[in-house]
Amino acid sequence: MIVAQAKPQHAPQPQHETELALEGIWRVVVLNDPVNLMSYVVMVFKKVFGFDENKARRHMLEVHEQGRSVVWTGLREKAEAYAFTLQQWHLTAVLEADEAR
Amino acid sequence: MKRVEVKLSLPVVAPLLDIVKSAADSLQVDLAAPQAMKDIEGEFRDAWNGELLSAQNGDLRTLLALFDSEFFATGVIGFDEENAEAIVRACSAVRLRLRARYLVGLEDEKLESGDVELVQLDEGVRKAFMCYLFLATIQELIIQHLDSSIIES
Repeated sequence: MIVAQAKPQHAPQPQHETELALEGIWRVVVLNDPVNLMSYVVMVFKKVFGFDENKARRHMLEVHEQGRSVVWTGLREKAEAYAFTLQQWHLTAVLEADEAR
Repeated sequence: MKRVEVKLSLPVVAPLLDIVKSAADSLQVDLAAPQAMKDIEGEFRDAWNGELLSAQNGDLRTLLALFDSEFFATGVIGFDEENAEAIVRACSAVRLRLRARYLVGLEDEKLESGDVELVQLDEGVRKAFMCYLFLATIQELIIQHLDSSIIES
């Protein structure tokens, strides 16, 4: 199982565009679905990210009303682990490169 | 250990279990919520999906185990710290599959609000929708009573 744990970081060595993209900052985005209950989504956010009730509800409402919410931003490996865990809970979670940084 | 027991009406619930079982069987080889993950390379994506499928199957076994011979004798199902997390996830998986298989004709808004005229549905769709609501009720019960056990586990 993939766990939310970062590997030791090495000094970046520019080689290939794809490798560079993997090194950057990534967003974990949860997309809306009409099936999962609001209370379920709140519970999953509390469980996976350790959000308090208010923060979990805020993200859930953002997903519900705007169709998506960025729930975590950071290094690729940990973003993958979070996306995997959210998918285990059957939420629609995707990774997006944070190109603004 | 906190435990919640619920007595269900056998004549109401038993006919829904065939649908739960059929949806669960179809999920042995498919993810309930398959996702594109286009940024993940092929081999890693296969391993990723394999792990998800394996976890999904384990959850579904836990859900189906609720409806054993004791349930058919007493109508009682029980949730505790050991099974709550798997069951609440499995309910999500089966609801997603019911939505994809039987409830595609229902608008998202109606599905979310539950504002559906049951008498206007075909029998198969009506049964699937009842099953969809039944599983949501199980989820609500678990979240209401065992939320903290799941979050802290």
